[in-house]
Amino acid sequence: MQTRKAVQKMFNLKTIIMDLENIKAQMRKGILEYCILSVLSRNSCYASDIIKELKEARVIVVEGTLYPLLTRQKNAGLLSYRWEESQQGPPRKYYELTPEGQKYLADLDKSWEEIVESVSLIRTRKKPKTSKA
Amino acid sequence: MEKTIKINLGGVLFQIDEEAYRMLRDYLQSIDHKFRNMPGGNETIEDIESRIAEIFQSQKDLTGIITKENVEMMISIIGTPEEFDQYEEQDSGHEYSHREKRMYRNPDDSIIGGVCGGIGAYLNTDPVWFRLLFIVFALFGLGFLVYLALWIALPLAVTDSQKRELYGDNFKKSRDHVPGESARYPYSTNVGNAFNEVFRAIGKVLFVIVRIILIIIGVIFVLAGFTSLFSFIIIFVFNYPGAFSIDTGDFNLAYLPDFLNYIVTPSMVPLMTVLIVLVVAIPLLAMIYGGIRLIFWFRASDGYVWLVGLIVWVLCIAALAIISFNEGISYAERGETTSLEYIGPAPDTLYIRAGDKISDLNADKEIALTDNYYRIYIDDKKNLVYIRPRLDIYPADNNSTSIEIERESSGTSRLDAENNARRLVYDFRISDNTVFLDEYFMIPRDSKWSFDVVSIDMYIPEGTIISMDRIAERMYHSHYYHGYATDSEDRFWEMTEDGLEYLDYDID
Repeated sequence: MQTRKAVQKMFNLKTIIMDLENIKAQMRKGILEYCILSVLSRNSCYASDIIKELKEARVIVVEGTLYPLLTRQKNAGLLSYRWEESQQGPPRKYYELTPEGQKYLADLDKSWEEIVESVSLIRTRKKPKTSKA
Repeated sequence: MEKTIKINLGGVLFQIDEEAYRMLRDYLQSIDHKFRNMPGGNETIEDIESRIAEIFQSQKDLTGIITKENVEMMISIIGTPEEFDQYEEQDSGHEYSHREKRMYRNPDDSIIGGVCGGIGAYLNTDPVWFRLLFIVFALFGLGFLVYLALWIALPLAVTDSQKRELYGDNFKKSRDHVPGESARYPYSTNVGNAFNEVFRAIGKVLFVIVRIILIIIGVIFVLAGFTSLFSFIIIFVFNYPGAFSIDTGDFNLAYLPDFLNYIVTPSMVPLMTVLIVLVVAIPLLAMIYGGIRLIFWFRASDGYVWLVGLIVWVLCIAALAIISFNEGISYAERGETTSLEYIGPAPDTLYIRAGDKISDLNADKEIALTDNYYRIYIDDKKNLVYIRPRLDIYPADNNSTSIEIERESSGTSRLDAENNARRLVYDFRISDNTVFLDEYFMIPRDSKWSFDVVSIDMYIPEGTIISMDRIAERMYHSHYYHGYATDSEDRFWEMTEDGLEYLDYDID
């Protein structure tokens, strides 16, 4: 029991020590995945459309970031794709949300709202008075 | 005009110039390196490739050739694998700082082969010092060899992860120089820069010199390969022996292909011909191809071709050796048969004249083996081989003249050799005081040549005068010792105790 607690403590410590870069990366990654699902919730898209939208929203800088995430989400069963002929060039992959993905997105929406609410609540709270009655 | 390369990218064909091709290939390698081992990595790589194809298609200008600018634009859109990393789970800084450092040649800071640049990056030092060191040692002749060895031994850091291993913790530092230029001179001081420029110039000159030498070697290879192949084809395929035959008096190689028919078992001839052609042609083709590669200096993934060529070549040689060994066994033993015929008491003057003459044979080919004495004549139409016999003349023990015909041949065993010897056809006639010796003996049809020799030994009492015509004289083994006749007259000899003696006067 004792050791287990110690290990847990160390583990927590380790996560805290994660440098700022890493936290940012984690946040961005989570947000990015959320954004991809959100874009796809409106209609099925092909990779370039998703990229365009994400770029406009300045969520990503380079396109290469997107492809491994799409593959991962697809393998997790959140997305599926179909091939569609294109006027110029080879057929394209059109991605769409699976029912599972829609449910997952709904969960994410909910928790996003919670997060935003919590964060803004904390951030907008006035500095408490130094002396408390 | 620069060379263009056709590539297939995501199912679309593109023409791309060489510089852009190299850049694209490095980029794709770095992508591949990054995703290969991830779950679903192959799919990601395919997606990125088809996106690259799409970007290229939207950018293609009128010439339709992808240039360096197109590739740079594409990379700026898709990003380098390091840029992907900013959202990846493992922070790149964490992952790579634990990587072991490894030495590579550095393509970003190279003068000749990037060896010094690599050492500099590895040891986090300005490479100019290593360059100076090599130059100093080169004065003693050692630096050059060491450099060459390192050049060959060290791999080039192509992908970004290799560069990470090369630079270690300083990789990011080297990357900070990236905008616009590649990651050049990450550690160069101002002094080093000037030196480096000088070295860079020297390196370029050296490189050009080396290239010129290689091109010259390549041209020599190609020319030599082509001429040899050409001669070989003329001799072997078109069966035109005269073309390049140089009569050295020794074994005449040009006749070999035809002669093959008479020295090996007939059923083996086609197989052996194919094998010989391959054994000769494969190295010649390799030489031509190698020469072309030296001249044009292109990269090709032809390792398998070389390997297959080498294996086929070695197998051909092995097969040829086995067949030759089997054929060789049939020459293992020698055997002979002898027949003796008395002519009777010797006349005062014995005339030795030619019977059937070689000049009447219409032989297609004449081959001299080992010396001018042993000559083989081949009549391809009749498929017959004729050989000149050897004539020796000795003093007789008694007062009678005799002729001994000794037939000698080879075979798998002594008995076989004797049988082979017996089949040799040789004729002579005697009429009054004249002996007519045929100028050739014959190997019967469909029987192969086995170093067959016919020796005619004549025993003649002392004091006998002998007259030989020119042809007989040529068969007479020792005629060389007595010089050649200068006129067309028959010459006279006298048998003495010590053998035949030339009489330099006419008897009549």
